Amino acid sequence: MPEPILVARGVRKTYRSAAQEVEALRGVSVDIWPGELVMVMGPSGNGKTTMLNCLSGLDDIDAGKVLIDGMDLHRVSDARRTAHRARRMGFVFQSFNLIPVFSAVENVELPLLVTGTPGGDARVTALDMLDRVGLGNRALHRPAELSGGEQQRVAIARALVSRPAIVWADEPTGNLDSQTAEAVLDLLFEVHAAGQTLVIVTHDRAIGARGQRLLQVRDGRIVADGPP
Amino acid sequence: MIAVALGLIAACVVVILAVTIFDLYRRPTFRRLAFRNALRRKNEAVLVVVGSLFGTAIVTSAFAVGDTLNASIRDEARTRLGPIDEIVLVHRSAVLPDVLGKVTAEPLPDTDGIVPMVTASVTAATVADSDGVRLAEPEAFVHELDFDAGRGFGRRPGDTGLADAGPTPRGAEAVVGQDLADELQLRTGDPLQVFVYGQVVPFTVRGVVPRVGVAGFHPGFGAQAENVFVAPGTLDALAAKAPRGAQAPEGRVLVSNTGGVFGGAERSTEVALELQIRTAGIPGVEVTREKQGELDFAERQGSSFTQLFGLIGGFTVVAGVLLLINIFVMLAEERKSELGMLRALGLKRNHLVRAFGLEGSMYALTAAVIGAAAGMGVGRVVVGITEGIFSQNDRQTTLHFSVRPTSLLAGFAIGLVISLLTVWGTSIRIGRLNVIRAIRDLPEPPTSGHRWRTLILAAVGLVVGGQLLAVGLADESPVFALVGPALALWSSVPLVSQFVPRRAAVTIPCGLLLIYVIAAFTLLPSTFADPSIEVFFTQGVILVFTAVVVAVTNGDEFHRISDRLSANGRGLATRLGLANPLARRFRTALLLGMYALIMFVLVFMSVFAAVFEAQGPQVADDTRAGYDLVVDSNASNPVTVAQLQAEPDVVAAAPLVDALAKFEAPDHADSFQRHFTGFDESLLARGVPKLSSRDSQYASDLDAWRAVLASPELVIVPSDFLTVGGGPPSSSVELGEHITLVDPAGGRRHEVTVAAIAGDLDPAENGAMTAARAVPTFVDRSIAGRFYVAVREGADPERVAARLKGDLLANGVKADTFRSLVESRLRGTTAFIQLLEGFLALGLIIGIAGLGVVMVRAVRERRREIGMLRAMGFPAHVVRRAFLIEATFIAAQGIVIGGALGLVTGFSVLSNSTTFGDKALPFTVPWAVIGLLAVAALAASLLAVAAPATQASRIKPAVALRIAD
Repeated sequence: MPEPILVARGVRKTYRSAAQEVEALRGVSVDIWPGELVMVMGPSGNGKTTMLNCLSGLDDIDAGKVLIDGMDLHRVSDARRTAHRARRMGFVFQSFNLIPVFSAVENVELPLLVTGTPGGDARVTALDMLDRVGLGNRALHRPAELSGGEQQRVAIARALVSRPAIVWADEPTGNLDSQTAEAVLDLLFEVHAAGQTLVIVTHDRAIGARGQRLLQVRDGRIVADGPP
Repeated sequence: MIAVALGLIAACVVVILAVTIFDLYRRPTFRRLAFRNALRRKNEAVLVVVGSLFGTAIVTSAFAVGDTLNASIRDEARTRLGPIDEIVLVHRSAVLPDVLGKVTAEPLPDTDGIVPMVTASVTAATVADSDGVRLAEPEAFVHELDFDAGRGFGRRPGDTGLADAGPTPRGAEAVVGQDLADELQLRTGDPLQVFVYGQVVPFTVRGVVPRVGVAGFHPGFGAQAENVFVAPGTLDALAAKAPRGAQAPEGRVLVSNTGGVFGGAERSTEVALELQIRTAGIPGVEVTREKQGELDFAERQGSSFTQLFGLIGGFTVVAGVLLLINIFVMLAEERKSELGMLRALGLKRNHLVRAFGLEGSMYALTAAVIGAAAGMGVGRVVVGITEGIFSQNDRQTTLHFSVRPTSLLAGFAIGLVISLLTVWGTSIRIGRLNVIRAIRDLPEPPTSGHRWRTLILAAVGLVVGGQLLAVGLADESPVFALVGPALALWSSVPLVSQFVPRRAAVTIPCGLLLIYVIAAFTLLPSTFADPSIEVFFTQGVILVFTAVVVAVTNGDEFHRISDRLSANGRGLATRLGLANPLARRFRTALLLGMYALIMFVLVFMSVFAAVFEAQGPQVADDTRAGYDLVVDSNASNPVTVAQLQAEPDVVAAAPLVDALAKFEAPDHADSFQRHFTGFDESLLARGVPKLSSRDSQYASDLDAWRAVLASPELVIVPSDFLTVGGGPPSSSVELGEHITLVDPAGGRRHEVTVAAIAGDLDPAENGAMTAARAVPTFVDRSIAGRFYVAVREGADPERVAARLKGDLLANGVKADTFRSLVESRLRGTTAFIQLLEGFLALGLIIGIAGLGVVMVRAVRERRREIGMLRAMGFPAHVVRRAFLIEATFIAAQGIVIGGALGLVTGFSVLSNSTTFGDKALPFTVPWAVIGLLAVAALAASLLAVAAPATQASRIKPAVALRIAD
């Protein structure tokens, strides 16, 4: 049995504002193993995205620990956490979040460049990745010149290009029509089939049902963990 | 055309105000949108208001400077003249009773005071102490005045300065003016010595009178009244023993009009005419409208300073407008989805414009109020510095800060109009959004519509531009000669785009335009021979706008650099930093424009100052004719050639005769009171004062000088002889021109011909040069008290000058080296240029602050991008560096564009055209100043951006991405 990529124990997160405190995560514990396709589901406002943010190190936590590759993510400096994220993680978001002033290939090669890959190699790898997601012919187009589905495929290519240990996808089809959403999901499942660990946050039961493992989140807790 | 433009602007403002007021009362939705958007993000609102207030502040400060000048000179009318409105000057005091009799023979209408006064220029000094040290004032005046009559003069004793002066001085009593008392540290009871008519006369100070009214009156040119009042009859008795050549005491009949200190001047024309009639036929009598002249001068100087600072500030105002547009465009882009939603809900396009415009109007109004107040502060600072500049060369100038309510209102109104037009213009542009694209926050596609409309407008622009150029050339109007080609070549871009790629279509016409505008002064010398400051303003705006368009259009070249830099992953920050300014060209152009415009003017003015400063030694050598010093002495006790030659280290002295006359020229509406100087053969004995041009009939400069010496019909004039104000000569006389010389006393007229033009500076302020023997035939009164003095080879001219002042104190000698006179004049010019540069630096502050403001907004606008970059593993320092690189890229580009344009234009205008005289000025680049400007601007820009860059680097990815369940 391989070691889990991610081990989370008792993760707590509270959002504080002048008016109120909202306990978004109330002791989340979970292990994620290499090659898993984990679906995270739950009603809106119950902590799915917060869980993704805290487990991936995008956000700080108030208590607990998150180990990735044996490193406690929240006990290291922001710089180390950032560097680790660059090497080991990829992200896909609902609203694509492409850099609007860069072309598709420039967006895709960014994770490679930030980890020190030489520019020429990064460009070749990025173009190859765009080919794999079916956008080889749109490589020089800027996001504004691409459709929503195409933008999301560029975002997926960007998340995968540095061969991360784990890819986090937060409602990756939320901004897409059903046909495009299906194509994007097919792409993600294809990636997973090739051995990529994927964590997908969704509120869509149909999508949730297509994973290997389903985490159900309610009121900041994982209330169910098992096959869909 | 200007009237039409102003009319259009006024019409626009009326429409805007009408719509704003209507919407405010009748459109609660717009009102709510405007108020709540403004209050929703208070910091943003503050940024917009700050961006808007600069224009008002600059305009108001220009008015404040003008008002202060006006008020200060008007105040001089109160302190130097008080109730005195007209003066009947009697060259020889012996004639004074006769003149007074004629003036008072019948009641003089509209007057409430007539008093006689006798004056002589003297040297006043304290008694030497045990070490032989004494304080002296070589430019003092002794007056004889009946104090009782003086007090009653004008019916308000307080205005005369004599209210508490006591009885008229008797015997050896002297009442001194406050300025002289301060200068010589005199108190009541102190002894005082007066050097006059070859005698040393002891007095005892009986009292001190303030510099106000009659007590403050003096016929000199300085602001200080170095007055000594003595017993009547004293001067005539002393003059009886005067040496040969001494000027007799002058008599004056002082006249006060009814209407008070300032109101009396309104009757001056009629009263002066009556005085001229009554004194007609008496030789050596001049009637002057002293108060009216002073008040007119105040008005002219005030409005000239308002205009000068207003136009120089115009560059800053343009920079402020660019900032405002930038802020509003960013504001609109940030609210794009919201605006799209409002359109989807049913708001028409014009409703959107009005809602946005209403919000902008609120900012504009607030900014105008604060800007007007800030403008007074800026004006105060400028006035303080101006006072320092005017007070150079032993002249103490006091400026009384003053702003008229109408000026404040005008500054407020102009600032408000600029902001309103900018805000509404931008709102109209913003209103043209596609609802779906706006809601989905998608960028607008490249414009493809309205092609025919664009082409038709371009063709119209081409034709109108050509017409303007034709008018400019025909009327020799430099502004039209600049605007016409600019309009035509800009308009040609859409037309040329039909046949060649866009980049070439922009670069070629704009490149041609840059070459034309830079070289215009050389290409069209007659059109640009007489440029006003508006021409430089127009030239600067066109150059910078065009250069920025070229730079932005060709900005893609920077992509290659950034790609190469980021090839190894280490230049990622550079790639990120350059990506946004290269992609968002409109915004980048606005920022570049702000920097480039101000840098252009700053560099141009620095070059201007450097070129003029560099002239100093050469000008001194060119004008001195082998002599070293200019020596002046008191008219009542003039020094002689023999006295000067008897001094150690003096080897030669050339006497000059100084006189004042009115000059009239065919192309000049006004007559000008100017000095003119008579010379004899001795001036040419050691060298020849260099001429900048001479009539072709003279083979050499010496021939021209000899011709003038031989003929009383010829004169040599300095290049700025009949000009008013600074800048390039605006209306001087030309070679061969016939000008009329009018004797102020009696009005004798002589026509003389300009045989040659002397150098660009007239350091000794000789004015027109003519043969000394001709001077008495031109005017009734002249003073043979000036000399050019040569010192022994090896002797230090400065030391000799200092010694002459001490040895010849009794003659009131003032001695200066040519070098120091030139440097002093150039120093004044340079200091004034520096003041204008300081005023312009406000524009740089706008640019820098604007960059900071834009970066603050950019951080907000790019939060999600930053979040994503951070999520992908971009370290915080790369994000920070990217913002700093972006700011550096924009600032450096603007600095380079503006600096390069300033240098090239400086070379073209100053050294390669005849605008500043026929002689090409040596081109000097003040590298140190330019380097300092560039480094300071860049460093300040980085400082302004440091905070938003750090803020960007601290953004937490999860927060920035706003990932919500």
